[in-house]
Amino acid sequence: MNYYDILFYLFAIITLVSAGFVVTTRNVIYSAFFLLFTFFGVAGIYVLLAADFLAVVQIMVYVGGILILLLFGVMLTNKITNVDIRTGTSNLLPASIAIGLLMGALVSAMIYTGWKVQPASEIPDTSIKNLGALLITDYLLIFELLGILLLIALIGAASIARRDKE
Amino acid sequence: MKEYLKNTWLGIYTILVGMKITFKHLFTPAVTIQYPEVKLKLPERERNRLYVNIDDCIGCDQCARACPVSCITVDTVKSVPGEDLGTTSNGKKKALWVTNFTIDFAKCCYCQLCVFPCPTECIYMTDVFEFATYERKDLVYQFSNLSPEEAEQKKINFANFQAEKEKQKAAAAAVPKPENPSQPSTN
Amino acid sequence: MYQYFYDLTGSVIISTLITAVFPLVNVLLVALIGVYLERKVSAWMQDRVGPNRTGPFGLFQTIADFLKMLQKEDATATDIDKKLYNIAPVLVFAGSFAVYAVIPFSSKLIGSEIEVGLFYALAVSSFVVAGILMAGWSSNNKYSLLGAMRSAAQIVSYEIPTALVVLAMVMFLGTLSLSKISEMQTAYFWNWNILGGAEFGLSKFLLIPFMLVGFIIIFISTLAEVNRTPFDIPEAESELVAGYFTEYCGMKWAMFMLSEYGNMFAVSAIVSILFFGGYQSPFGYLGNTLGINWLIPYEQAFWFILKGWFFIFVQMWLRWTLPRLRVDQLMTVCWKYLIPYAFVNLIIIGIITLL
Repeated sequence: MNYYDILFYLFAIITLVSAGFVVTTRNVIYSAFFLLFTFFGVAGIYVLLAADFLAVVQIMVYVGGILILLLFGVMLTNKITNVDIRTGTSNLLPASIAIGLLMGALVSAMIYTGWKVQPASEIPDTSIKNLGALLITDYLLIFELLGILLLIALIGAASIARRDKE
Repeated sequence: MKEYLKNTWLGIYTILVGMKITFKHLFTPAVTIQYPEVKLKLPERERNRLYVNIDDCIGCDQCARACPVSCITVDTVKSVPGEDLGTTSNGKKKALWVTNFTIDFAKCCYCQLCVFPCPTECIYMTDVFEFATYERKDLVYQFSNLSPEEAEQKKINFANFQAEKEKQKAAAAAVPKPENPSQPSTN
Repeated sequence: MYQYFYDLTGSVIISTLITAVFPLVNVLLVALIGVYLERKVSAWMQDRVGPNRTGPFGLFQTIADFLKMLQKEDATATDIDKKLYNIAPVLVFAGSFAVYAVIPFSSKLIGSEIEVGLFYALAVSSFVVAGILMAGWSSNNKYSLLGAMRSAAQIVSYEIPTALVVLAMVMFLGTLSLSKISEMQTAYFWNWNILGGAEFGLSKFLLIPFMLVGFIIIFISTLAEVNRTPFDIPEAESELVAGYFTEYCGMKWAMFMLSEYGNMFAVSAIVSILFFGGYQSPFGYLGNTLGINWLIPYEQAFWFILKGWFFIFVQMWLRWTLPRLRVDQLMTVCWKYLIPYAFVNLIIIGIITLL
């Protein structure tokens, strides 16, 4: 067991334990904050997989954007709409069936995908160069479409938030 | 658009003006007076702690009566004939022993009303204003220069004199023809 | 930095320890000197004397304050959310301290020379936002919650102009690595990015005004991101007592303070790396002229820290010059002024870079 393994298990434990708490805790605020640690652990695992850009994006987008938005939503709305910040469990059976199917699909994907295995020495120091090149060449259409999607979302948000002029 | 650019320019320009002003003030000397070391000269008629020049006090009690908060206590004992109390600096003859002259500065409101009635100008304001203490009783200042024993002695003297006088009076009442009722021979 | 100390000591543990502890010492020093300097600068600007009782010129004032802080009782309100309340200061400090992992103090004093350094520095500051929200929520106090909300809204909005300027700079420089950005502006001050970068030509002179605009935008928006006056509505004393750390005292409060000063230095460092040559000396190196090679990293560290302190001073200067902005003004400045300018700037710098 070297440092790498220790770090991997550390991040894995952080991710799994906090993800477990996200699901089981009844307080929505706690769930949101445990989500923070889950994201952090996932980012750590990305770093260990030499996906540095992805790790930083993970933190930037999920922690800096989505989580903050989530917290805002929970904190601002629970007092206004009298929604209890504690949640219960409902629809146990359909949920477990759906989760079981999803998990089966993911596990089978994990097993049957031909993963590209590379020795650590051959992995480049940084992934940004490759990522950038791929985004501008092979995945250009998707990249542009995503850009347009985000723009549409932005315009939609602005038009919803806009005060009506009477 | 023009408005917008103007706003931008004004924003930056006014910030720079403000920064220039504060930068100038970086190098102007401080106006602070370092109080315990450097003290401001107090105004001419400042009202701070009272002082009683007990040598000049004739024990007239006028200051105590003038005081709106009753912080001055003056106890006096009449002198017996033969005692020379001396005179005040402006020539008044003293006739009373001031056995107790206290001012409680915890009560004093520094109104200076006690100063004006004093016939000998022996109570006046000083420029001392730093006399905080840890206990309230320390704010009661005793100005009388008679020790308690002396004060007691004076009281006894006066009581003796009084008793003597009473005796004489009684004797005079008994004797039908009192020639000289007020001719003390004691002491 | 790790490699440098590894070569020097030959021990993994010692070199790791030094690498990790050095930024911490820097943060502590920044807080220690920063608090003192802030008091002194504010005093001078208001024609006062400032602290002058503790030691010569009041130099030990911060140390005295620190000792006082250590002795304080850790008083907490009864209805707080204990767990989150205790984690929040740690999270805030961790977020601001994590930035130091990528900041190059000199060509040798770098925690980690990762390629995405600049992006990383922007990203980890989001932990600070989460920590602030956590602190505000767990304190169970109106002021704290309002302060946390304001702070998060402010940081999230002002991240956009920052990111846009950073994007423009990344387009111009072609790298996200902070040490590479610093290396590109080597030698003399006319190679700094604020003066158009190291490449001499027409584009250099065309770039200068836009670099200036970029610098102003990023300086303003990073100032807002560290919640300093005039953007200190999250902790507006006159409205919210102390904002999100109203309920904190003693060492936990000190953690917030430490993270504030740590952040101040970090954003100063990033601004100086992006526009003012990072650790590069403006006038060449003494080590080069004298032929002493080992002196150069120390000189670089000196210049870097000097630049950092200069921008901290400018932040203080602004703080004691400008009044606090109102919330709507704050958002107006960000969304209606900084972001459009940053976009225009981004496009123009992109075009000039392509020339």
